[in-house]
Amino acid sequence: MRHNRAIAAAAWILLAALAAPRSGAQSGPAAPAKAADAVVEFHDELGRLVRMRASPQRIVSLAPNLTETVFALDLGARLAGVTDFCDYPPEAKTRARVGGPINPNLEQIAALHPDVVLATKGLNRADTVDALDRLGIPVYTTDPRTVADVVTSTRRLGEVLGAKANGDALAASLERRLAELARQLAGRAPRRVFFVVWLDPIISTGAHTFLADALRRAGAESVVTSSQDWPQINIEEVLKENPEYLVFAGMHQDDPQGAINSLKTRPGWSSLAAVRDGHFAVVSDALDRPAPRMLDAIEELAHQLHPDAFPPARPPQPASSIRRSLD
Amino acid sequence: MRPLTGKRILIICAALAGVLLLVVLLSLRFGTWSISFYDLAVQLFHAAIGHNDQLTSDFRLIILNIRWPRILLAIIVGASLSVAGASFQALLRNPLADPYVLGVSSGAALGSILSLIWAEQLPGATPFGAFIGAVAATAAVYFLGQRGGELDSYMLLLGGIIAASFLSALIMFLMTTISGRELRGMAFWLMGDLSTPTPINAGWLFLVLLLAVGAIYSTAADLNLLLGGEQEAMHLGVNVVRVKLVVFLAASVLTGLAVSVSGAIGYVGLMVPHLIRLFFGSDYRLLIPATALGGAIAVVLADTLARTLVSPTQLPVGAMTALVGAPVFIFLLRRNKT
Repeated sequence: MRHNRAIAAAAWILLAALAAPRSGAQSGPAAPAKAADAVVEFHDELGRLVRMRASPQRIVSLAPNLTETVFALDLGARLAGVTDFCDYPPEAKTRARVGGPINPNLEQIAALHPDVVLATKGLNRADTVDALDRLGIPVYTTDPRTVADVVTSTRRLGEVLGAKANGDALAASLERRLAELARQLAGRAPRRVFFVVWLDPIISTGAHTFLADALRRAGAESVVTSSQDWPQINIEEVLKENPEYLVFAGMHQDDPQGAINSLKTRPGWSSLAAVRDGHFAVVSDALDRPAPRMLDAIEELAHQLHPDAFPPARPPQPASSIRRSLD
Repeated sequence: MRPLTGKRILIICAALAGVLLLVVLLSLRFGTWSISFYDLAVQLFHAAIGHNDQLTSDFRLIILNIRWPRILLAIIVGASLSVAGASFQALLRNPLADPYVLGVSSGAALGSILSLIWAEQLPGATPFGAFIGAVAATAAVYFLGQRGGELDSYMLLLGGIIAASFLSALIMFLMTTISGRELRGMAFWLMGDLSTPTPINAGWLFLVLLLAVGAIYSTAADLNLLLGGEQEAMHLGVNVVRVKLVVFLAASVLTGLAVSVSGAIGYVGLMVPHLIRLFFGSDYRLLIPATALGGAIAVVLADTLARTLVSPTQLPVGAMTALVGAPVFIFLLRRNKT
């Protein structure tokens, strides 16, 4: 028996010796997974199967709305890289830059060794996602098209990033606020608004954009019903539709007040009822970012368009309340 | 100029290949993720002798899987555009001809966009669409450039500009009316961009490049005669129609190939053949291989600058070539007049 055991032991040592250089040769990305970094699989919002490390510690975001969402999920510390356009929260600007969302620097992304890269269909290119895929870097793509999608997408992102509780809490708080807003606006006719993306030339938003849905949630209805996403509009069209309010977002109008003042003297615009009556609403650019902060902007806009729907004492909730509600 | 011998062609091409190798090494070395020349040499040596287990994972991922394929693409695109430029210059007997200036690149771009719209799933649809677009645009410009039954230099350039702006307008029209498609990246691609690797295998692209350049090279002696005038060439026994057809098709293939993988990179086809002529003379037997190598050098250099100048943000490589190429074009145009 002892003899047999010695042979078995020798065989084991031999096997181990044979196996050792092999496992060494497979170092790098294909290293055998330790128990601590288990691999999980998710379907992303485009239906692609994403294999990645559970609870990823190094995240690269390829869009401003995703950067915001990661921070809102209290996972900002895990963000290793962001785009040049990720400006919120201010802390995002301290992260490594990987270039713009449309032409990110693949070398820079790879050098950051991300556990997962987050992309969004509305801003990033399929080519970029495919290229990262071929390099063996996991990419999780979101595709929120409505306000409700953002809530679902946020909840799911929490789960994918290994912070299910945060995702659930954040999504629940967003849903609560949306329901509260809907209750307050119930029975009120939506304001007919013209959303100004750009003034020279006049660009507004089409019927199928995320922005159009955000406007609806704020008790507004765009007078533009184009099927194009960012249609260029003739001033005659604006005059014909005669909107009740003009809505500006901080994004493209660096100086909304200056733009508003200039309208009062511009031919065409000056004869618009909304301009004569000073019916302008100015909200933050978060209105057009499919991220949790959009709700601040939606509430802000609802307060401006329907002031009598809200008790005067209650100001809009500040942005920090989203994060606080998670604690 | 010394007489052109086979030996001289070989020496010049070997020298240019050496420069290309040097430029490729520089391009491998510099980038967002930096590596010392020593480490690069060691790792390249390991890669060359197949010791893949000795490679660091960063080297494998960033240098071998990202930077090297991009350089390879730059070589293919640069060689294609320059040889196409040199061919159009012979075909149209105009030193200012270039696939970009003549609107051929715009034609190829429109062709690939249409192929994306109509036959997205078909493999090879984009290069084929680009080829058809390039052929159609060249033919149109060829006819626009006629005056009194002959090709007129200024009519030709004018025709090219008109074709380019008309085709660009068509592309704008398609891009604004067709929503919900992957057209966001197109504006970038139209500028000429190598930052997103193409899924097409580089081996196939190389094969097409070699075949097309080979076809043009086989007519090199005839092209030399053709430069003296079609009548004269015909009297000397050149089958002018056949030569023109071969060169026309092969140059369109090259333009289509380059545009379908990298968009419209301008001025390479203009600058490179001119510089080569300046240094080594205008014999097409030397001009064609030397231009292919020179074009590869130019685009690898331009793309290296495009991705390192404002790193980590990248410029489209087309912006780099236009930055250098447009002034050169003006210079040549003015010199040509006198």
